[in-house]
Amino acid sequence: MSSEQIIAFSNVWKKYSKLQVLNNSLRDELVSVITGRKCREELTEGEFWSLSDICFSIKKGQCIGLAGHNGSGKSTILKLISNVTYPTKGEINVQGRVAPLIELGAGMHPDLTGIENIYMNGTILGLSIRELRKRIAEIVEFSGLQDFVNAPVKKYSSGMYLRLAFSIAVHSPADIFLFDEVLTVGDEEFQSRCLDRINFIRLNKGTIFVVSHDSVALKQICDHIITLEHGKVLSGVDS
Amino acid sequence: MIRRLYDYKDLLLVFIWREFLIRYKQTTIGVLWAILQPISLMLLFTFIFGVVLHTTQKNYPYVLFFYAGVLPWNFFAGSTNFAVTSLSGNFNLVTKIYFPREIIPLSGVAINFVDYLIGLAVYLLLLVLYQIQLTWNMLWLIPLLAMLVVYTTSISLLLSALNVYYRDVKLATTFLIQFLFFATPVIYSIDTVDNHWKLFLFLNPLTFIVENMRRVTIEGRDVVLWQIGLETFGIVILYLIIYRIFIRIERAFADVI
Repeated sequence: MSSEQIIAFSNVWKKYSKLQVLNNSLRDELVSVITGRKCREELTEGEFWSLSDICFSIKKGQCIGLAGHNGSGKSTILKLISNVTYPTKGEINVQGRVAPLIELGAGMHPDLTGIENIYMNGTILGLSIRELRKRIAEIVEFSGLQDFVNAPVKKYSSGMYLRLAFSIAVHSPADIFLFDEVLTVGDEEFQSRCLDRINFIRLNKGTIFVVSHDSVALKQICDHIITLEHGKVLSGVDS
Repeated sequence: MIRRLYDYKDLLLVFIWREFLIRYKQTTIGVLWAILQPISLMLLFTFIFGVVLHTTQKNYPYVLFFYAGVLPWNFFAGSTNFAVTSLSGNFNLVTKIYFPREIIPLSGVAINFVDYLIGLAVYLLLLVLYQIQLTWNMLWLIPLLAMLVVYTTSISLLLSALNVYYRDVKLATTFLIQFLFFATPVIYSIDTVDNHWKLFLFLNPLTFIVENMRRVTIEGRDVVLWQIGLETFGIVILYLIIYRIFIRIERAFADVI
């Protein structure tokens, strides 16, 4: 892997189950604690491949769009990058800190104020308390919520919620940013501010992943679009 | 565990701080509750056991006897109760972003520990008020506290992880905690129990901890070395096994939650 490469997927497979109760999985895990054996790689009843044989590599400073229908595996790829879940087969190499933009409301507590939620969400994204103290004014200014930061978040409108979440995420010193279906929310003024910030991140050699159905918006901001269908790469990966 | 958590120490601190904030949000007297709760508990016991019932166990006031037992018990029950739903309740975090998952149940143990320390201060005050002869044996409280924290942490981790897989755990825990309440000598003394049940009760590490906490404070006696050695050994082994399993199955939490 060259030094410029920041994310590399090689022959990645990911299996999911449709069943509600996963009787086998805990037993499998416990058995593997003792024997050190890996998970079963074949499909059993109710299971399907969410991703099959995905290969790509991303260089520093690229902005990648992930397109595809619902359930084509876009979010699964983001989960694999952020280390939330693990591939069934294949290898993933991610270098650097990852900042996923947590979806609306997650990681925020409705009873806490805007400022308190900035600390909460910021540390979840891997910032230290000291880093947050330094950046807090900048984050508040970017969100444009100066008048509301001391109000509990439950009094916010959904647009304000998202502005706050987005502001926290883009101010983290991460190397890789993951945005899942968020660009279409917020008013025009805020959207253009988001695009400015995305360009700023790219100038600073940050890598960005954007997931969206909106192919027009994707073409606008991304320099590379990967299209997925049924867990396979349809187009967009050059060899 | 410390190595794994070091990078995330700020996150743990913020989680603890968050639980405190949430607990006292939209209350009028706020943090005063932290002191008011143990004091009102003390007054209640004093009234019931000291004024209404006049009961005594082993020649010392029942207030002290009960309070000494109920403090560690509340810490254990509070922490585990918090832990059970801690991971499954935060599924929107668990499925979106990586951090060592034990941070969430651990923050519950931490806030309950702060409550415990406040309660302990009230307890020490009670000891002085009742003119109990304090001895150096009281320092045994420190290793006993450590054992209690490690044991509570283990059980919290275990229950929180199991509840990710099976929500039955949450329902069963309500009963389990009630069962353990009676299997721990909180409202009775182990000396009043038949011999063949005693051994059974000592399988529960809380029994040893609670009994000895009374012994070293109210009675001013020391602990039996081989007993504390054996109990510590058991608790540490249990912790190591549970933590190892936790780390192993943590990888799958986001997929099954």
